[in-house]
Amino acid sequence: MVGLAYDFLANPLGAVRLAFEKAVASSPPDADPAAAFRGNDWGAVDLFRDFLFEQGGLSQVPILDASTRRWVQPNTLVRFRGMVQDMLGNELYVGAYKDGSNWRTNKFTDMAPSSMPPAFETQLWERHLFYCVPVPGQNSWAMEPSPSPGVRNMSSSTSQHGVKRGRNTEDDMDLNVSYNWDEASSNTKKQKEDESTCQSSSSSEDLANHGGDLELKNGDSSCLSCLVKIYDMPESHLKLNDVFEFIGIYTFDPELAGHEDNSDDVMYDLFEDPMAHLPPSKVPHLHCLICRKLVIQDFLPNSPVIEPLPNMIRKIRESLLLHLSAVLGNDEVAAQYLLLHLLSRIRAQVDVITVGKLSLNLTGFTRESASIFCCQLTNAVEELLPFTHVIPLTIEYLNNATLQPRKDNETGRLVAGVLQLAQGTHLTIDETRMQNGTLTSNGVENARLLKHLLEWQKVEYDFEYYKLEMAADVQLLIISEGKSNILPADLVLPFCPKSVASVNATGEELQAWRWYLATMRSLQHSSEPETSQILQDEMVAAMQEDRSLGCAGLTRWLTMAELMSASFGEKCLTLEHWQMIKELERLRKERLQ
Amino acid sequence: MAALKSVDFAVDKALAKDFLNNFADALGEPKYLNILQDVANRKRRAIHIELDDLVDYKDLDEAFLQRVTENTRRYINIFAEAIDELMPEPTEVFPVDEDRDILMTQRVDDGMDNVDNSDPLQKMPSEIRRFFEVYIKAFSKGTPFTVRQVRASHIGQLVKISGIITRCSDVKPLMQVAVYTCEDCGFEIYQEVTARVFMPLFECPSNRCKINKAKGNLILQLRASKFLKFQEARIQELAEHVPKGHIPRSLTVHLRGELTRKVAPGDVVELSGIFLPIPYSGFRALRAGLVADTYLEAMSITHFKKKYEEYDLKADEQEQIERLAEDGDVYNKLARSLAPEIFGHEDVKKALLLLLVGAPHRKLSDGMKIRGDLHICLMGDPGVAKSQLLKHIINVAPRGVYTTGRGSSGVGLTAAVQKDPITNEMVLEGGALVLADMGICAIDEFDKMEESDRTAIHEVMEQQTVSIAKAGITTSLNARTAVLAAANPAWGRYDLRRTPAENINLPPALLSRFDLLWLILDRADMDNDLEMARHVVYVHQNLESPSLGFTPLEPSVLRAYISTARRIAPSVPRELEEYIATAYSSIRQDEAKSNAPHSYTTVRTLLSILRISIALARLRFSETVAQSDVDEALRLMQMSKFSLYSEDRQKSGLDAISDIYSVLRDEAARTNTMDVSYACALNWISRKGYSEAQLKECLEEYAALNVWQIHPSTFDIHFIDA
Repeated sequence: MVGLAYDFLANPLGAVRLAFEKAVASSPPDADPAAAFRGNDWGAVDLFRDFLFEQGGLSQVPILDASTRRWVQPNTLVRFRGMVQDMLGNELYVGAYKDGSNWRTNKFTDMAPSSMPPAFETQLWERHLFYCVPVPGQNSWAMEPSPSPGVRNMSSSTSQHGVKRGRNTEDDMDLNVSYNWDEASSNTKKQKEDESTCQSSSSSEDLANHGGDLELKNGDSSCLSCLVKIYDMPESHLKLNDVFEFIGIYTFDPELAGHEDNSDDVMYDLFEDPMAHLPPSKVPHLHCLICRKLVIQDFLPNSPVIEPLPNMIRKIRESLLLHLSAVLGNDEVAAQYLLLHLLSRIRAQVDVITVGKLSLNLTGFTRESASIFCCQLTNAVEELLPFTHVIPLTIEYLNNATLQPRKDNETGRLVAGVLQLAQGTHLTIDETRMQNGTLTSNGVENARLLKHLLEWQKVEYDFEYYKLEMAADVQLLIISEGKSNILPADLVLPFCPKSVASVNATGEELQAWRWYLATMRSLQHSSEPETSQILQDEMVAAMQEDRSLGCAGLTRWLTMAELMSASFGEKCLTLEHWQMIKELERLRKERLQ
Repeated sequence: MAALKSVDFAVDKALAKDFLNNFADALGEPKYLNILQDVANRKRRAIHIELDDLVDYKDLDEAFLQRVTENTRRYINIFAEAIDELMPEPTEVFPVDEDRDILMTQRVDDGMDNVDNSDPLQKMPSEIRRFFEVYIKAFSKGTPFTVRQVRASHIGQLVKISGIITRCSDVKPLMQVAVYTCEDCGFEIYQEVTARVFMPLFECPSNRCKINKAKGNLILQLRASKFLKFQEARIQELAEHVPKGHIPRSLTVHLRGELTRKVAPGDVVELSGIFLPIPYSGFRALRAGLVADTYLEAMSITHFKKKYEEYDLKADEQEQIERLAEDGDVYNKLARSLAPEIFGHEDVKKALLLLLVGAPHRKLSDGMKIRGDLHICLMGDPGVAKSQLLKHIINVAPRGVYTTGRGSSGVGLTAAVQKDPITNEMVLEGGALVLADMGICAIDEFDKMEESDRTAIHEVMEQQTVSIAKAGITTSLNARTAVLAAANPAWGRYDLRRTPAENINLPPALLSRFDLLWLILDRADMDNDLEMARHVVYVHQNLESPSLGFTPLEPSVLRAYISTARRIAPSVPRELEEYIATAYSSIRQDEAKSNAPHSYTTVRTLLSILRISIALARLRFSETVAQSDVDEALRLMQMSKFSLYSEDRQKSGLDAISDIYSVLRDEAARTNTMDVSYACALNWISRKGYSEAQLKECLEEYAALNVWQIHPSTFDIHFIDA
């Protein structure tokens, strides 16, 4: 910290302001400095980038989550990982104002540092608001441990700070609670948000373990959501349901929490802007300096450095197949298919063809076998993939659940549905508990949504006056007694367990498998022109034999072949893999008869 | 900035006055003076100053125009002041019994008494005297912004946006001028309110009270104050304007005075208005930080028109259409651009294009109406992309309703009489067909339609009305819609062993109402399969669809072209009538000969031929139907059942080549000639559903057998008499 007038971690705003003043001072005197810096950066972000990535400051930045929130100080640098759940549009704020003869800035903050003079020259700047939630269905192992306060490069008073902070938050919660007491029934929405902050003690781990029970009805019922404010970035950079890591300045003002001005609100009650539901006193705000899109590999904790040697990959593949077939009661064919399914990823949606989709329907489960294997299977998937989710498909669930994300025009917010999932989420649908019954209109709608997702990998979002389709990338595994007609999967495979084997895997193995799945999944695919020519001919021949194959069948075969070669760590499709697929499909056909 | 500040508003006021005084519309009428006269006569309140007029104004000052668009709020006041000075005396007598008028007379009298009193707060603000509202209307040309395109740089400017209204508040009064009376001095005190919140006055600021140090108590006079109707609404981006992976944005809109109650949730509108910030005040400012809320103060509202006839062409569209029309081959080009992602089906797409274009409605002198809308039924095996075609057509059509035969609401397809749950009154509710009046109604799963709808649809398809006689309501609703139906064959898949009539599971009465019945069968065809396999492999490799060999036209261009085409009403020339009549009778004869007819040829078929021909002429922007149009119409009708015919031929043992020969020979024998021109031959065989390539092959083959001679350059045929 020597040589710097500010601490990047503890006083990032100092760095921002100092850089601004420097930039203003160095700009030509005749130019209007505030106008020049609208929508521009004056070098502050570069300072941080240098600090975080060149000087290794990144590891010292705490991760903002339910547990660290107790001691993270406002106006310090934090990291937050989450999924963009809602986009709240633009916000105009007083970006710069003239204090006497000096321009000052309010960028990256909610509050003016000092009270502004009443008649001041101001500049309105723009920032984008995004409401981010922890990735739905994130498994506990994929959570990144945050550096504890001790690790941080802070003064000796660290521990004191921690304690003090803790007390403060408690106070704050008391305030919230008492406020709730007053208005408990009148304002359930706010209450929910309060719960979300109070709930912070419940570990996310048990949430993830009971993935099936995880209610995603409302984005803010999961652990800690955050309002992220993004500066100077083309809007197209962030998309709905993208998973991002934001590094920025955390603001949270507990002092405001106690106040609630109803008198003023009456004027605005009708058109309460969404912001009013997310005051900085309840939902933490993050003023983003740097953000980056995360891929699955980023969620592997201390990922082992494995040389992607063909031998190594083959070995890992073998052991993973063994593991999967143990999970599936030594059904090797099912294990092969499951592996391909786990590796699938939507690569593109071209007109009517969704490239890379491979949903799997394991049939033939009875009540007994379901109780054993379902559990084993979902556990295994949870351990292997970072984001997983289980839907127990019953009449009751279909009738009651909110699968469709819906825009609430009253509050201006997007209410999350279960199907608002991050790219690459795995969804297991357990149909074995389905009984006879009557579906309500909501149930029919939900079934339709699921079917649409399965067929097109698209989820319809309800915007009241029209519906908007959002592209999804969800791996769907369906477990059912007979072939599921509600949810027609790409592949239907009767499941034939031979024995019940106990499944256990060491941590090391798990890590290797996770790495394997994440890496192989992101491989690019290609094929030689000669190979594709041969494939084309074979496909035409196959179609002449079997009219029911159609476009979907061809796409499925090609996808499987590509995934098969990917499972060996190869980017190029070879005939050998094609033969393996044909053999697999032959085995599957035999079973179907 | 500095240049703007030095603007002398007095000069601009003079400019505004000059404009209002001297502007003459296309007819030479002083448009704004007329409006002012109406206002003076209390016939209207709103004065819309159109920027279009400002541009057209002969003494236009460019800089003035720019100032008006960029600082609109200010210029509304300037125009209002100008109007104050210009306001003519009323020319008509109107009753002066309103409270306001009485108050006004009193005030004016009072004003006379206190001329010397120069207290600003006692001076009556001009606002309270005004009986009019000034709106500045943005240019009607130019594309409106989407909500997301309105940025911080637009603050204070007049912008035009399009979107859908999602919420509307009640209309509330908004105080514009607060009027107080002082208990001590009895003066009226005026306070102008410009924001949504105002601080009431408590102490009398009049000179008399001040001198007397009386601190006179002020009482707010609600009856004397001026209120404005005020409504808030929220506008949301339209689905087609939302970029991929984003969610629609919305914006608050303030509607005042005459603009209130103009919109309802669900309306698609185009608004022009001033984009303004409201800084938060008081504690809210502290809580929300340094944030400014923004809203749009509406200046004009236009509801989107969804009819072809009222479609306004934009300048660039006009140009594109002209270029397309000159280009030739429009027919193919437009057809290919329909659902470009669906491979093949060229003729189906052509038929659908004609459905979009349609023919004009005819009303005969005896009051009989002949419909111009084309009805098309697509029947075919599952998985041949029928539904996708339907949905695409709905997207292209400016007004289209997509529904399924089962219908989602209780109203069904036609109409229903329902009891209103609140008032217990019987109300008539239109179904999908009524909602699609003057548009296209796409009905998927047509074969699974409810029995009640099926009977009603007969009427809709020919008379184009829905009649209701239920619960004391007897009426008939217009349903001038083109029906596009999709259906599956009777047993799910087309069963070749059964007759077509058995497969097409629809009553002849209904079937005859369709101008074209298209059978799309999924057949084992090496070429098609290869094409599909190639497509799939290509898509997997390149993650994009193979280039189509052409760039499909944008739906907006298609829409514009079709709407232009629909304005033309082509006529059938007398010399073609004979030709059509012969063609019709030959179809009838063919049908009589065949033992399992594929179609029911009736007089309706004759009308269909005419309709399709007229639609084709419309596409060429031609006022008369040409013979080529009729030929193409006949070809389409033939092609629609092509897959069945080829099956027949296979059964009868005739291959395509020999069939073409027999067709040519028969035709030649019929017309009693030995010479057949190539164009004629092509015409005949394409009506039977054969391609040019097949014809050439046939010509060569039989020429080798010395059956006929082929002219080396023109390919005309000369039969060799044996």
